[in-house]
Amino acid sequence: MAHVSVPMYWRTIPERYRLVGRKCKACGALSFPPKGICPHCLKSSEFEDARLSGRGRVHTYAIVGAGGAPPEFAAQERATGSYPIAIVELEEGPRVIGQLADVDPSGIRIGMAVQAEIRRIYEEEGVVRYGFKFVPVGEIP
Amino acid sequence: MALGIAGYAVSLPRLRITREEYIKAWGQFAAAGVAEKTVLGHDEDVLTLAIRASRAALASAARPADSVTRFAFASTTPPYSEKFLSGTIMAGLGIREDAFASDHVTSTRAGTEAMLAGIEHVRARNGGVAIAAIADAPRASMNDPAEHALGAGAAAFVLAPDPILAELEGHATHASEHFGERYRPRGEDRIRDLGVRKFSESSFAANTSGAAEALLEQLGRKPADYAHVVFHQPDARVPANLAARLGFSAAQTASGLVVSYLGDLGAASTPIGLAAALDVARPGDRLLVVSYGSGAASDALSFRVVRDRPSAGGVRDEADRKEYIDYLRYVKLKGSLL
Amino acid sequence: MRAVAIVGAGQSAFGDFPDKSIKELFFDAYREMAASVDRDFDPALIEAAYLGNLGSGGFQLGNVSALMTGFVGLPYIHAVRIENACASGGYALAAGAMDILSGTHRVVLAGGVEKMTDVSATRGRYWLGVSGDTEYERLAGTTFAGLYALIAKRHMHEFGTTREQLSLVAVKNHHNGALNPKAQFQREVKLEQAMTSPTVCDPLNLFDCCSTTDGASAVLLCDGEIAKRFTDTPVYVAGFGTSSDYLAIHDRASTTTLEATRRAAAQAFRMAGLRPADVDLAEVHDCFTIAELLAYEDLGFCDKGKGGAFLEEGRTALSGDIPVNASGGLKAKGHPIGATGTGQAYEMFRQLRGSADQPARQVKGAEKGLLHNVGGSGGTAAVTILAR
Repeated sequence: MAHVSVPMYWRTIPERYRLVGRKCKACGALSFPPKGICPHCLKSSEFEDARLSGRGRVHTYAIVGAGGAPPEFAAQERATGSYPIAIVELEEGPRVIGQLADVDPSGIRIGMAVQAEIRRIYEEEGVVRYGFKFVPVGEIP
Repeated sequence: MALGIAGYAVSLPRLRITREEYIKAWGQFAAAGVAEKTVLGHDEDVLTLAIRASRAALASAARPADSVTRFAFASTTPPYSEKFLSGTIMAGLGIREDAFASDHVTSTRAGTEAMLAGIEHVRARNGGVAIAAIADAPRASMNDPAEHALGAGAAAFVLAPDPILAELEGHATHASEHFGERYRPRGEDRIRDLGVRKFSESSFAANTSGAAEALLEQLGRKPADYAHVVFHQPDARVPANLAARLGFSAAQTASGLVVSYLGDLGAASTPIGLAAALDVARPGDRLLVVSYGSGAASDALSFRVVRDRPSAGGVRDEADRKEYIDYLRYVKLKGSLL
Repeated sequence: MRAVAIVGAGQSAFGDFPDKSIKELFFDAYREMAASVDRDFDPALIEAAYLGNLGSGGFQLGNVSALMTGFVGLPYIHAVRIENACASGGYALAAGAMDILSGTHRVVLAGGVEKMTDVSATRGRYWLGVSGDTEYERLAGTTFAGLYALIAKRHMHEFGTTREQLSLVAVKNHHNGALNPKAQFQREVKLEQAMTSPTVCDPLNLFDCCSTTDGASAVLLCDGEIAKRFTDTPVYVAGFGTSSDYLAIHDRASTTTLEATRRAAAQAFRMAGLRPADVDLAEVHDCFTIAELLAYEDLGFCDKGKGGAFLEEGRTALSGDIPVNASGGLKAKGHPIGATGTGQAYEMFRQLRGSADQPARQVKGAEKGLLHNVGGSGGTAAVTILAR
């Protein structure tokens, strides 16, 4: 069965829990999720860790229904129905995909301010996978 | 050396359900004095709540995560029966891997147990920074009236030497062997109670009075010395009865009574009640906290507020972030009616 | 300079065939390819086979190329599986062309096969969920429908693309598919029906999404110098280009442009010495309706953001000045992942020789055709220009 194994998930915990990005020692650009070579200067592989704030704005979003969800998310779909996903442009520059939480789909706007929070992503093989989701900042629609 | 609470915060799920929804579903609502309660979202659990509360508590104490030397997590409903739970929270916050962390589970007294573990660390080291994070989401069968009160929530306390908001003046404890009240056999996720009322009440009385009276005597205090008292609160009746027995007034229990709008928060009930009382307490005010866990044990803690707390949002602000759901959505979240 | 010619092409029916395994499907395509060579076809001439296959279902992940070639009577050749998700076929074509251009071999098979319907819809989504950036995109709770929905939403935000424009892609391609006896779906779809079908990943609904499909395709490539041995009307590979892009759409420079398509197209046009306006018809990668609008833009048929208007004006209808997806596209013809790219080549081979299998689909005066094949959400893309 094709899936994300526990070790594969575990290796990305610094990114998932703490949004640890990489600051290029050559050009100073921040990248997240991390790459081996800095995607900005395409030259350097020397970085220092840089924890991102988790604050950002919605760049685009979509609402995943039952037909579009990987099977690990079936339990979420059953419990709470369709869920929003978004590409969030973090305030430091990089963009990342994630679910939006604590927001009604009809209240989502491109450009709205959001903040990362750790939530349960799904459970498989009896192991809970945690990671960031983005919640609205300020008034909850 | 003065030590105590340097910062604190509460994290609550956003969802709420009212007693009216229960009455529509079941024709009655069995939780005395509870108007509405918190409901854990599908993507939340006691660890996610604890992370959020701990992060905010560190901010309120103006201490960075990598200064933490002791971490204590408490819950009766952890996501695993066996797995080092604090690890998830430590990784979530960025707490050093050489900090001593402990998991406290198996009774609703675990909250004060974790707080006292943090206090003991700071006292023994004459320094350091401890966090006690208490998060709980008790469950029962949907057919069981005991389910009606059950909510979810978390509180986190940063415990350290000065600068602090509230000093711990002293604590006392009382434990005994008692069976049959609020227990869960191994491998089950629903609380049970043999329902032998007087028997359960006698355990509660013996242990809470034992701890509270011992503390008051140890400190040379009377009930009137306390501006705020926070009692174990599975519903509104239990703390009211305890207050009466120990000689405290309803006015003294008001600030720390959260069950009426949050529900029974298990091990997190007295901690969140303490946070609510601290939100309104003034410098010089004394607070008494009495916890309880069946099986059975009780801790009593006495605090004195030394500084005004920073004016970030408190329990009420957190509680006001809410969305109401109906009973059908509630059942879908809980997974089944059985 | 060497030339690469296509002298034969075959394709199985595309659809859901419980009684056919990948072997039988591939054999259907191979047999038709062999029969389509006008003269002197001899299997012993085939020296290499580049076969696209994702391995959806996981039942033959390794060495599938040897399994296919052995089944169709081509043991002992240079057989290799090409995999770039849905662009596997386009890359198989490119690999075959590069083989011939290098002078290594002279007659080469480029094809593909996919069997997607042996598993339940749930199990199928396990497989479709591992060709995006699994670590992030899958763990955000999405498969390709969600990724293209994110692209569509941004495209609507930036350029005002409408729900109706997306559905017009489905209407056009289902109209063409109804004229294609090998298409998975051979019924027209009305605009109202397409616009109001159940939501899959808002803003995309059921009719915005291609289906899972079984199918196979095969084209016979040869050195241009020997093409006339096999036919008086070979079709030449005038140019081809390939490019990758960051796999995760959040890592890309723009969420509304498939840079892989743009660069692959630029290479293909440069190699062919042609411009977009020179193309008579195109088979593009409409895995989702938004993908076809993006294709118009990124291939250079219209300006960025104007894809919806381009379609609304009828420019890409069968009767328009650049018919797109006369075959029905992925939407109506079907999308057997590894076989789609060379399936496009099969259609174009027939169109350019005036022998489309249903005369009503024949594009008049078709001389230069473009094939556009994208891997997943745009991590890879291959563009091939074929010409008489």
